[in-house]
Amino acid sequence: MITEYALETKGLEKIYRARFGGREIKAVSDLSLRVPVGAKFGLLGANGAGKTTFVKMVLSAVHPTGGSAMIFGKDAAHPEARRPVGYLPENHRFPTYLSGTGMLDLYGALSGLDPAERKKRIPEYLNLVGLNGWGDVRIKKYSKGMLQRLGLAQALIHKPRLLILDEPTDGVDPVGRREIRDVLNRLTGSGVTVFLNSHLLAEVESFCEYVAILKKGQLALEGEISSLVAGTGYSIVASNIPDAAKEALKQRGVAISLHDSGLEFRAATREESNHIIDSIRAAGGFIESMHASNISLEDVFIKTTANATPAEKVA
Amino acid sequence: MNARVYGALIRDTFQEAMARWLFWGLFALSSLLVLIFLFFLRIDLVQGAISFAGSRSSRPIYDIQHFVNVSYSWVSTTLYIWGTFVAVFASSGLIPSVLEPGRIALLLSKPLSRTTLLLGRYAGNILVVLLNHIYLIGSIWIIIGIKTGIWDPRFLLSIPVALFAFAVLLCVVVLIGVMYESAALSTMAAIALMLISTILAQRSFVVRLLDSEWSRDLWQTLYWIVPKIFDLGNALRQIILFERDADLLTPVLTSAAFGLIIMLRAIYVFERKDF
Repeated sequence: MITEYALETKGLEKIYRARFGGREIKAVSDLSLRVPVGAKFGLLGANGAGKTTFVKMVLSAVHPTGGSAMIFGKDAAHPEARRPVGYLPENHRFPTYLSGTGMLDLYGALSGLDPAERKKRIPEYLNLVGLNGWGDVRIKKYSKGMLQRLGLAQALIHKPRLLILDEPTDGVDPVGRREIRDVLNRLTGSGVTVFLNSHLLAEVESFCEYVAILKKGQLALEGEISSLVAGTGYSIVASNIPDAAKEALKQRGVAISLHDSGLEFRAATREESNHIIDSIRAAGGFIESMHASNISLEDVFIKTTANATPAEKVA
Repeated sequence: MNARVYGALIRDTFQEAMARWLFWGLFALSSLLVLIFLFFLRIDLVQGAISFAGSRSSRPIYDIQHFVNVSYSWVSTTLYIWGTFVAVFASSGLIPSVLEPGRIALLLSKPLSRTTLLLGRYAGNILVVLLNHIYLIGSIWIIIGIKTGIWDPRFLLSIPVALFAFAVLLCVVVLIGVMYESAALSTMAAIALMLISTILAQRSFVVRLLDSEWSRDLWQTLYWIVPKIFDLGNALRQIILFERDADLLTPVLTSAAFGLIIMLRAIYVFERKDF
């Protein structure tokens, strides 16, 4: 039973008003979201869906025009609420005049770490993200992947309880991605909540437990990934089906495709699958196999962002 | 805790300043002036006095102390104008740079208020310029002292006065930087204020030339609103020359009020801005 949320928003809204003409653009609208403590939560959405605006509102870089955001029960607008937060922004611009060590020292200090603690943790976290030996090198010499790793170390150095990552593996090679994912998995194992904002659906699907999909600034879908991708459809393979029965099912809108053992029928609901089976059996056909078919998160995402149905919640 | 955050912000501003060529230029120009005084201004008790006064002042030199005072007043005024101008020019980029997308979002995600962030940056800027002024004006004071044997501490008043003028102008740089995120615009605004201040300070002369009451009132009003960068320099010169009607307090108070209002406005804008 979850009693506390790492992040909770209620009716969060951001309307940008044009300086001249007064035209309004709703970047985020009535967004209520709960991220359980210790969860691995993914935020998805097409470009311009409001993901970054949402994250910035949570971190007070953007002021909401309505609603509220809480971090571990504290008003997110208060600086103290951000103390347990580690953040890696998208398109970050780290100070290029600093070395890796200098940057971690700066952000560690701003996060409230004392000098002795920073001195101890900096080599530890450089090592954690695979930048051992690069601490004294100016970060303008770093590759994009190295900058991402350094950014991750920066987000982790003060041992946050909530980690908000905006495209954390952007520019990182596959091995590096795997390493970052391993680091994140170890963190969540120790109770850290990870909020992942990513375009990479496979990354979200492989790492996250929960997902929310934004569409045009609104919450279009939210739930556990396992619930979203499993049991959302049925596949029935049958043989010896008369043409008339096949046509009748086709007319009802049932998707039919060729299969090694005959024909494959796809049903979206349990009731529909039962009806297909009844029709096949009544026509003298044989059921060869039947199983609940999983769909990928990508399918869920495309279906959700293509449809206009707002805020469907899956338990 | 807050001291640690301020310390980190000041240190960061320092490091960024050091990484910018403009700041090295500031120190290089200061060093050049120091070297000029060290090697080319051959002031000793007799020869230097005659050569310098002969070329620079039409006033009779009653004694070497007066000569040194006149020299000090010239040098301090020059350093005041030069130092303030160059400091504004060199530091104008330090506020917009911190507002770059991707940098400001990360800073704002830290447990510090926006006001702390802005004031920390401001304080770091002031400290860099303070060190430069101490280096420049202190070095020249030592050189003149060694060469003339006269050590007048009033010359060192240039340091706080120049720093104060810079601090007031930096408030404008901060406001424009926060509003428009443009280093060029910030510099233009601050330099324009320096020039306007000089023009407005000629009020005793100009007011006589203006034929309407409202234009005279407007001039006077603007004079009292705009920071008195010219008057500060003038007061500094008068103090060094022991002039009795030297008034440093009025320009300091009115300019401080201007700076405070501008800084409060900058904080207000920064607090409400979306990044």
